[in-house]
Amino acid sequence: MNRRALMLSAGALALSGRTAHAADDVVIGVVYPLTGNGAAVGLDAKAPYEVAADIINGTHAPIPMLMGAGGGLPKLGGAKIKLVFADSQGDPQKARAEAERLITQDKAVAIVGSYTSATGATISQVTERYEVPYLAADNSSPSLHTRGLKWFFRTSPHDEMFTQGMFEFFAGIGAKTGRRVQTVALFYEDSIFGTDSSNVQRKLAEAAGMKIVADIRYRAASPSLSTEAQKLKSANADVIMPSSYTSDAILILKAMAEIGYKPKAIMAQAAGFQESAFLQGAGALAEGAMSRSSFAGDAIKSRPAIVPVNALYKAHNNKDMNDNTSRQITAMLTMADAINRAGSAKPDAIRLALIATDVPGDQTIMPWKGIKFDATGQNTLGTPVMQQISGGVYKTIWPFELAVMEPGWNVGQ
Amino acid sequence: MTAAHLLQVAAGGLLMGLVYALVAAGLSLIFGLMDVVNFAHGELMMLAMYAVFAIWAINGTDPLLLLPIVAVLLFGIGIAIYHGLIARALSVQFNRGMVQIFVTFGLAIFIRGACQFVWGGDFKSITGHWLAGRTIELGGVFLPLPQMAASAICLAAFAGLLAIGRTEFGRALEATREDRDAVALIGIDRNRIFALGWGLGAGAVGVAGVMLAGFYYVGPNVGASFAVIAYVTVALGGFGSMLGALVAGILIGEVEAFTAAFWEPSLKQVGVFAVYLAVLMLRPRGLFGRL
Repeated sequence: MNRRALMLSAGALALSGRTAHAADDVVIGVVYPLTGNGAAVGLDAKAPYEVAADIINGTHAPIPMLMGAGGGLPKLGGAKIKLVFADSQGDPQKARAEAERLITQDKAVAIVGSYTSATGATISQVTERYEVPYLAADNSSPSLHTRGLKWFFRTSPHDEMFTQGMFEFFAGIGAKTGRRVQTVALFYEDSIFGTDSSNVQRKLAEAAGMKIVADIRYRAASPSLSTEAQKLKSANADVIMPSSYTSDAILILKAMAEIGYKPKAIMAQAAGFQESAFLQGAGALAEGAMSRSSFAGDAIKSRPAIVPVNALYKAHNNKDMNDNTSRQITAMLTMADAINRAGSAKPDAIRLALIATDVPGDQTIMPWKGIKFDATGQNTLGTPVMQQISGGVYKTIWPFELAVMEPGWNVGQ
Repeated sequence: MTAAHLLQVAAGGLLMGLVYALVAAGLSLIFGLMDVVNFAHGELMMLAMYAVFAIWAINGTDPLLLLPIVAVLLFGIGIAIYHGLIARALSVQFNRGMVQIFVTFGLAIFIRGACQFVWGGDFKSITGHWLAGRTIELGGVFLPLPQMAASAICLAAFAGLLAIGRTEFGRALEATREDRDAVALIGIDRNRIFALGWGLGAGAVGVAGVMLAGFYYVGPNVGASFAVIAYVTVALGGFGSMLGALVAGILIGEVEAFTAAFWEPSLKQVGVFAVYLAVLMLRPRGLFGRL
C-alpha cells in the first residue's frame, strides 16, 4: 500500500468511525534477527510476513491458496492479523526474553520465527511455559521437534528430511537412467551445521550401500581450499556432497577447476549453494551443480498461487521469493488458517486447530505434499525438492512430476 | 600418494604462500618501522580488490593492467591514513599504545562497513580476464595461470622492496627504524619517512590484492582470513624483515597444504600455529628478526 492509499483509507476509517462490532485484532509475534550478524536474513524475513498479512487482511483478487480470499479471518468476524516484530539479534537469550515480552506485554496469541535453530530452541521453551503455540517457519535442526514439546509446530522440513530427499533422488535417477550412484564424497565445514549434515549423509549413504570415498571436514572460511580440492580429485566420487556457506562454496569450485577437476555431480545441502551471491561469485563454474531446496519457484503449473504471491512479494521487497521467504509466508498463512478454524484467538483453541491441520500441497506455494503435523508437531508432508543450476538459474529436477527440465546426470558416463 | 600428488600439494602451498608473503610484507614494513600494528591491513587488501572489481565492472579492464593504478592508489591511501590518523594517534601523550590499536582497529571496521554499504554484502568475482580459468599441466601437476602470475608479481614486488632497501631512502628508513629521535638530528624528516613507509606497506598489500582478485572472490570480509595469517607470518619471519616475510609466507603456505593433505583439513591452522609456537620457543625474535 503506498502512502496515498494509506492516507485515503485512514481518512475513510475516520469518516466511517469504528463500528461497535469490529472484531479485535489477533496479535501474532514474529521473532527474527533484525540487527547483528544475521540481520540480512532477518530483515529479508520482515517483508514475507507483511505480504502474508496483506494477503490475509487486505482486499484483493482471490489467490488460489490457503487464506487467499483476503478480508481478514471470516470465522472471527473479519478480524485482522496484527504482526508485532521482535529482534532476537541472533542471540538465543535475547530471543527468549523477546518471546516472553511478546506474550506478556503485547498479548501475542502465537509466535512465529526465527531463522536460526538456536533461537528457535529458546523461543519454544518460553511458548511451552506460557502455553502459546510456536510455529517454526524456517528452523531446520532435526533436534527441535524431538524435545516432547506440546506447543511446538514446524511447517518446514528439517535437515534429515532434506538429506532423505537427496538419497531418494539418487535412487530415482539411478533407476531412470541405469547409472547409479556408487560412491560419494562428503565435504563439510567444521561447524554444527556441517557436522550434523554430514552425520545424516554418512548414515544414509551407508544404508543405501554407497561407498564414502572421501570424508573431508574442513576449516570454514580458510583462505585456500586447494589441498581439499586435491583430495576430492583423488577420490573422484560419483557425487560430491558439500555442506558449506557461500564463500567456501565459491572457493572450492574455483579450487577444483584450477587443478583441472570437473566433478561428475555435486549435490549440496543448500546453504551457500542456494544463494544469488554464490551464483554471481562462482559464475559458470556453478553450472550443473545440484542442491536441495524447500521451494520451487518454477513449479507454477502445479502451484498456481506462486505467480500472484511472488508479484506481491516483489512489489514489497523488489526480489523474487526464495527458499526462506516462501517458507515464512507459508508459516504465517498456516497459522492464520488455524486461528480461523479455531474460531477463537485463545491459544489452546489455536493449538487444537493446528493439530487438526490438513492442507493439500496445491493450496500452498510450496512444492510439498501438504501440511499435516505429527504428534511431535513436525509437518510430515513437507517434502523437499532438488534443483540444478542451468543457465545461471535454479531449475527443479525432482520430484520428477514437478520437474521443469531433465536433470543433467553425468554419473556413470 | 603419487609423486605428482605430492608435487601438486607442494605447488598449491607455494602459490598461496607467496601471496601470504606479500600481504605480510606490508604489515612487517610498517611494524618494523614504527612499532604500529596495522589492524586494518586485511581491509586495505580488500579495498584493492574492490578497486579492481569496480573498474573492471565499468569497462572490463583486465586486472593485470590495473596493477600499477591500484598500487599507486593504495600507496596514496597509505600516506593519507598516516597523515590523517596515525600521526595524530602518535602525538597523544596518554595511553599511546591503546590509541594506536584502536585507531587501526576502528579503521578496519569502518572500511568493511563502508564497502558493505557501497557494494553490498554479496560476493563478487572477476571473470573473463586474460588468465581467468587457464591452467597448464606439467607432468600431472596442474598450475593455474592466475596464481602463477600472482606468484611472479609477488616475487617481483619483493625484489622491488629489497631494492628500495639499498637506496638512500632505504637507508633513511633503516635509520629511522633504529632510532627515530636521532634521525632528526641528521636532517631526516621522520614524518615523511613514516608516511612513505605507510604508502609502501599499503602499496605492497594492494599489489597482493590486485593479483588475488584475479582468482579469488571479492567480499567485505575477505581481508579478515588473510590478516590472521599475515600476523603469524610477520611474527614467524621476524618483525620488520622483508626476507623473513618471504620465507615465512612460503613456509606457512606449505605447512597449511601438507597439514590438510596428510592430516585433517580442518586442522590446517593448527599445523600453522604449531610451527609458529615451535619457532617462538626456539627463536622468539622470529626466523630473520634482528631485535
